[in-house]
Amino acid sequence: MTGSMRAPAAAIAGIGATEFSKKSGRSELRLAAEAVRSALEDAGLRPADVDGMVTFTMDSNAEVAVARELGITELTFFGQVGYGGGAACGTVHHAAMAVATGAAKVVVCYRALNERSGRRFGQVAIGAVQATTSSGIDNGWHYPMGLSTPAATVAMAARRYMHVYGATSADFGGVAVADRRHAAANPSAWFYGKPITLADHQASRWIAEPLRLLDCCQESDGAVAVVVTSLERARDLQSPPAVILAAAQGAGPDQFTMTSYYRDELTGLPEMGVVARQLWRQAGLNPADIRTAILYDHFTPYVLMQLEELGFCPRGEARHFIAGGAIELGGRLPLNPHGGQLGEAYIHGMNGIAEAVRQIRGTAVNQVPGDGAVLVTAGTGVPTSGLILAAA
Amino acid sequence: MAADVNGDTAAGIRASAERIMALGESSPRFARDQVNLPIVLNWLEAIGDTNPVYTDAEFAVASVHGGLVAPPMMAQVWTMAAQGQAREAGDPTGEMVKLLDAAGYTGVVATNSDHVFHRYLRHGEHVAVTVSLVGLTGPKRTALGEGWFFTTRQSWYSGEEIVATMDFRILKFRPEQGVSTRSSERQAAAGQSGGPGGGFVMRPVVSPDTAFFWEGTRQGELRIQQCDDCGALRHPPGPMCVRCGSPSQKYIVASGAGEVFSYVVHHHPPVPGKTLPLVIALVQLEEGVRLLAEMPDISPDCVSIGMPVRIGFMRIDDELSLPVWRATEPPAGPRELPAVLPDMTVDVTATFVVAGALATRDFTPVHHDRDLAVANGSKDIFVNLLTDKGLVQRFVSQWAGPQALLRQTSVRLGVPCYAGDTLTFTGRVTDRTAIPDGDRYEVQVTGRCSLGDHIIATAVIDVPERT
Repeated sequence: MTGSMRAPAAAIAGIGATEFSKKSGRSELRLAAEAVRSALEDAGLRPADVDGMVTFTMDSNAEVAVARELGITELTFFGQVGYGGGAACGTVHHAAMAVATGAAKVVVCYRALNERSGRRFGQVAIGAVQATTSSGIDNGWHYPMGLSTPAATVAMAARRYMHVYGATSADFGGVAVADRRHAAANPSAWFYGKPITLADHQASRWIAEPLRLLDCCQESDGAVAVVVTSLERARDLQSPPAVILAAAQGAGPDQFTMTSYYRDELTGLPEMGVVARQLWRQAGLNPADIRTAILYDHFTPYVLMQLEELGFCPRGEARHFIAGGAIELGGRLPLNPHGGQLGEAYIHGMNGIAEAVRQIRGTAVNQVPGDGAVLVTAGTGVPTSGLILAAA
Repeated sequence: MAADVNGDTAAGIRASAERIMALGESSPRFARDQVNLPIVLNWLEAIGDTNPVYTDAEFAVASVHGGLVAPPMMAQVWTMAAQGQAREAGDPTGEMVKLLDAAGYTGVVATNSDHVFHRYLRHGEHVAVTVSLVGLTGPKRTALGEGWFFTTRQSWYSGEEIVATMDFRILKFRPEQGVSTRSSERQAAAGQSGGPGGGFVMRPVVSPDTAFFWEGTRQGELRIQQCDDCGALRHPPGPMCVRCGSPSQKYIVASGAGEVFSYVVHHHPPVPGKTLPLVIALVQLEEGVRLLAEMPDISPDCVSIGMPVRIGFMRIDDELSLPVWRATEPPAGPRELPAVLPDMTVDVTATFVVAGALATRDFTPVHHDRDLAVANGSKDIFVNLLTDKGLVQRFVSQWAGPQALLRQTSVRLGVPCYAGDTLTFTGRVTDRTAIPDGDRYEVQVTGRCSLGDHIIATAVIDVPERT
């Protein structure tokens, strides 16, 4: 798989974040500005060095608004990546392309949200079905019928997956237990010191059968930012660079946002397959080369499907992979050592990228030993993205 | 009896209620008329019930009844008070209302009405009714404010024999500031103990590419897009054929039959306009495409991947009907042999409301006097409970056949159904047991109007073998 491998051009030179909470007590714009400032300080760069900014279409803070707050003067590249949490690694992908083409020299990617104290994504978003856009029309095939929350949309695919492969609720619970065990040792995690057992998972109430409460990620307030620049420049900055070995976006055939229900099967994530094929090809690596994976975990069933789609195990066998201890610290593929979005915080996947950088630097609280590459994925069920990072 | 000095305390209310309960049944009050055909005909016309056992002597003689009978749900009608006639002194209902009014629980809303029918009445019988207080619970927090639920039992006698009973549950509440006094919202809140189901409906955005589909659901057709050039079927539809690229699209009317491909049981959070838990099924149509819709009348335990379903349509208003899935075969599950009742739609005109109220001898002004209803905080006159119960009887007997015997009904009230609305009844069998000479069915019935669930009922009905 080395045929199309390309020389890495960009790296993540800085990471920053606010605290993760349920009520930040300040504006999303302030959270964004704090995280970006902290990422620049981590990189040893000044606001005036920044000439590019990328965020999510769902972020409420315009690039220029954040730039104003920080005294970033001129921007030569700015953009927003779509499809909810599917944007996370896509922001870095866009930044790396901007750096590689010379469109910008230092690009900041950020995501700030008061998702718990402000608008909660887990509730029914009536505006989503009233939008006179193609997305609004798509939602018209699901929302009026009552399928109108992220958990319910995932539950539809999860039920089919269970039917086809014989997976159970307890198999999904294995992901939650691992995430929460890792979060329990992470002082930045909301669930620091609060592990759960599989019995806790099985006793948690139904949200959208077959999903229980503990299959669903938490809701959080907070912000994360990362700084992308050329590998060459990053080598001269104060923090060790995390080299972007591969970055990719993906959408699959007959793609919808959370409701791709009209494909032949519902048991995979073809859009993640599109991402995976690019990542392996660009990095010249295969799944056996990955030291730890940060897989997007807003809902547990899609973690099983990602393990299969990315090639860590054959289709339908993720439950055996998990049951065999592979995703634990010390296992074959430690999963989400920071605790993931179930354990650390739900910052729309951006906190996972920061964790991958810490794993590369060797500064993570649950440091996975070795010098292998780290894989990160973004939102599932939506057009998505992924990264493979490595030490310089 | 006026509220005594302790009447404003919970203990005082309980003590007074115990005294009323200890009095037992009130003395019997006789119906104005003997059971007779003209009054029955008024009722049948208003309700729309066409069962020949009430009207066709020849059919009735040959039936399980051996002669003409009166609709069982008319039991209460025979003994309704005349227009202008006050409640008799000592009537337990009046005593409880006075007691709770005096304690500040001035709001009132009926919540449940449960009947047991021991036998059908024949022409010429002269029934009498007794009333007793049989239950009191409270004070409880309700969506309307703190309140007390009390239940009275009416028993109808023909001579010494009890022919029917009704337990009637009323909530008397202390209106809270900020809680709407509009009767629609009051009823909605009272009927909502189990979840949402309010009036708001999420509506699809309709585009030129999708209008044919929603026009179809309005007309009771399931329309699936078909490419005019290559014949490919597609759902959800779009402006251009995904197979050949043609922008020329037409549609076929699908058979409406399919199999559950996957499903969700939604428990949390609340979904506007829906009652939880909510079953939503993704169905593979026999034409090969998939369609997602709610399965409103099925127990979550009875759904499974692969179960056969057929399309139905839930009318929301003139503009919108939503597709729904219904089970076509008794689903496997804990409940034996369930089945689905054919939908029944009632056009609730002002005339219908008034005709129903008068035929059931219910002279409460909110069922015939629009000005007074509006002054009371209602949007318009609304369907009375006795008419609702008549509609439940009509709905289940249309499905069960003319000789089926209604044994029991239990009705819970939800949002009001105002003049100008449409009531749609749906139902499913929740149990079936063998009895001598036939089967006993338990049926769950929902009557929906534009504001949400208007009534939720269960009925027990005996279906003789020879029907």
